[in-house]
Amino acid sequence: MTSQESAVTPDGVATDSVIHDIGFRHYDGPRLGRGWAFRSLFYETLRGSFGLGRPAKVKIMPWVLIVLFALPSLVMVAITILTASEELPLSYTMYPVAISLVVSLFIAGRAPYAVSRDLRDGIMPLYLSRPIRRQDYVYAKLLGLSAAVWIFVATPVTILFIGALLAKFSVKDAIFGWLGGLLMAAVLSILLTSISLVLASFTKRKGLGVAAVLSTLILLNGFVAVLVSVVDMQSSETAASYFAVLDPYMLVDGLGAAWLGVDTTFLYSQPDGALGAVYYSAVLLVVVTGCVAILLRRFKKVGGV
Amino acid sequence: MSTIELHGVSRWFGNVVAVNDVTMSIGPGVTGLLGPNGAGKSTLLSMMGGFLPPSSGTVTIDGVPVWRNPELYSGIGLVPETEAMFDAMTAYEFVLANARLHRVDDPASATVAALEQVELIEARDRKVGTFSKGMKQRVKMATALVHKPKVLLLDEPFNGMDPRQRLHLLELLQRLGDEGHTVLFSSHILEEVEDVAGTIEVIVAGRQAASGDFRSIRRLMTERPHQYTVTSSDNRALAAAIIADGSADAVNLTSDVLSIQASDFGRFVHALPRIARDAGIALHDVTPADESLESVFAYLVAR
Amino acid sequence: MATITTSGLTKSFGPVTAVSNLTVELPSGVVGLVGANGAGKSTLIKMLLGLLSPTSGGATILGFDCLTDGLKIREVVGYMPESECLPLDISATEFLVHMARMSGLPADSARERAADTLRHVGLYEERYRPIGGYSTGMKQRVKLAQALVHDPKLVFLDEPTNGLDPAGRDDMLGLISRVSSDFGISVVVTSHLLGELERISDHIVVIDGGVLQRSTSTADATQFAGSLLVEVTDRADAVIAKLREGGASVAEGRNQGSFAVELTDDDVTGTVVAAVAELGVGLVRLQRKRHQLSEIFATNDSPVEVAS
Repeated sequence: MTSQESAVTPDGVATDSVIHDIGFRHYDGPRLGRGWAFRSLFYETLRGSFGLGRPAKVKIMPWVLIVLFALPSLVMVAITILTASEELPLSYTMYPVAISLVVSLFIAGRAPYAVSRDLRDGIMPLYLSRPIRRQDYVYAKLLGLSAAVWIFVATPVTILFIGALLAKFSVKDAIFGWLGGLLMAAVLSILLTSISLVLASFTKRKGLGVAAVLSTLILLNGFVAVLVSVVDMQSSETAASYFAVLDPYMLVDGLGAAWLGVDTTFLYSQPDGALGAVYYSAVLLVVVTGCVAILLRRFKKVGGV
Repeated sequence: MSTIELHGVSRWFGNVVAVNDVTMSIGPGVTGLLGPNGAGKSTLLSMMGGFLPPSSGTVTIDGVPVWRNPELYSGIGLVPETEAMFDAMTAYEFVLANARLHRVDDPASATVAALEQVELIEARDRKVGTFSKGMKQRVKMATALVHKPKVLLLDEPFNGMDPRQRLHLLELLQRLGDEGHTVLFSSHILEEVEDVAGTIEVIVAGRQAASGDFRSIRRLMTERPHQYTVTSSDNRALAAAIIADGSADAVNLTSDVLSIQASDFGRFVHALPRIARDAGIALHDVTPADESLESVFAYLVAR
Repeated sequence: MATITTSGLTKSFGPVTAVSNLTVELPSGVVGLVGANGAGKSTLIKMLLGLLSPTSGGATILGFDCLTDGLKIREVVGYMPESECLPLDISATEFLVHMARMSGLPADSARERAADTLRHVGLYEERYRPIGGYSTGMKQRVKLAQALVHDPKLVFLDEPTNGLDPAGRDDMLGLISRVSSDFGISVVVTSHLLGELERISDHIVVIDGGVLQRSTSTADATQFAGSLLVEVTDRADAVIAKLREGGASVAEGRNQGSFAVELTDDDVTGTVVAAVAELGVGLVRLQRKRHQLSEIFATNDSPVEVAS
């Protein structure tokens, strides 16, 4: 907006004063379309998972949990260095599934924030009237929350990596171990996110969503733990390993063993040879795609324009 | 003929005074109960219908207090705002059940009569759950009419209705009013009220702000100068003549319209035709600019 | 210059037909949409936004084909829903920036336009507080703001005065008029209240049961009818008698003191004023009667051909 250097008032007097036009401005700039909208929703979900862009009290829970989850890894690093131990007490792939309760707490708290809140607010008509497709909403939420969980899980894994370097372990081993840990963290994130979003998408009330996700994850954990030992008693360890896939943490644990050859955390989550590896991978694929399909179906029905 | 009388009625809920010292008399015909959201209209209707006792003052119908008086209930029909209904019943079944509850003689024919009155007779055997909002409203009306009450109380009856449904309901209410029923309905949408209510009662924050015909209410507001817009064959000359005459406070001349402010309503309206005739100016249009229900209401709320 | 054109637009869900063979052209400016309750209205909007495929027929909006150009349409169109749709735990500013980005605006433009739009709809310090604490009027403004923030060419406003008291209604109607006249954005507004639509619309479309009933400019629908409305302070019967003596055709009105005089070729207005002045009675009103939108509904039992 350029202001004139000297204007002239209606009665012919020159003046330096000027009135700027602050009326409605039209927008002639770029409209970045679907891809940008998708990214924006992704970032908003990711940021929202850590309470950024929200009032302070919403930030408390996620950050407390991050610290809680990372603390043991700091302690482990300290112990390893101080006792001049030859390896970390928990490996990069073992850590997240061993301390699974804290992970469950985190995602149980964040999944409703990603989805139940939108359902309760009734915001879908506003999104749908924008240049995205219905499925974009689901995928953006999935990716956003998965990214948040991955960051959550990757933090102590990375702390262990730094610790390994400080303890002067083999750099090559440390790097490969860390990358493997990050990969399995990603798999765990996507799996847990898919399941949690499906559960959260069936309720508008955040509290109910949190309870549903948390109780499902904890009950699965407990139930499967009993199941596999019973199967082992009745049959064999190998047979038990086929049932271990019912718990998401055991499933990821087994996948780590199958794909990366690392040790499993749990006794019964060791897949049985090549067949077992295929079986574990197939279960992962089926569960994730099944959950995505349910979510797409869910948001086709709910709260359209 | 039934008359609802309130004398010095107040109703409080803890520290919240929903109705504050209201005295009014509602007689036969259609009366509109107006007020902003939360002004106390629903509370007043509940007290008139016998659902709530007043915290102080008396609420009577034909001299008899309404509260805890079951014999009176058969003379009152209440159409509440809430939407909850028995979706699985048909319209006929629902109204019939109400007829039986009211111990109506010959409930079946009373039900048919009520359904005909609200023009739902063709849909009588359809489930209420399949009805539109307007039709559900009419079912509620039928249940309120089935026992042929003398008094009909309606809480926001036009809520969500499209213009055709609203017109039907207006006609029904007008008919009932003409037949001698005492009909009182509340609304916060002035447009709906203007057409049907001869008398209005205005409630603002629990206090009774005004009552009567809204045009007369406007005339009573002497502290506010009346606004008039006038067009004529020679606006400038007319403006000069009006000012010279002294019957207006202010005259505003815009491109083709005279805006006039007059505190003395009576004097101005008598003077205007005379002035025009004497000055040989032809009047094209004389319109009171703030006599609408909306203006009157805005003035009342602002006091 | 039509903004929206439909031809034979139909949508059925099994046995229920929500929109039936709709052929209509909506001009720019403010178009009021009446009568379509529930299924018909939302179905129509979904089809126009390219979110729902019609059973048959088609529509174009701003030159884009509703069947194929859905994404492009939603870049340049805004929508203000009737339902509750606002997140309650974030501020209006946060919300609007997010919505602007979701409409395709780059980050900086999104921020600037969010701030500007909030000013245009009349939200000042409130904009930094969570939306949950806003009054109904403020919430409606936020809803309107998210529909405008990306400078659309056209906005759909679904019952924008819902839940507002008379003063709030007034403000919102004024705002809507400004959107069309000052911001240069075409508006399609739905409402049940004919008085409101008469006030702000340039054009009215009446749809009932999914079928087009009328499409007419407001001017045409509210043209002068052939009579003069007169209201006097007292002695109306004397004035009426005098006018009838002079050969005028007079009908008594509903209220005391008001009546209608049929306009003929003679100077009816002059005659009335003369009579009033002579009898020394006060003249409260002298107005040419206009047709009203409500007349469409009073006589309508079957679809009428499109006028204008």
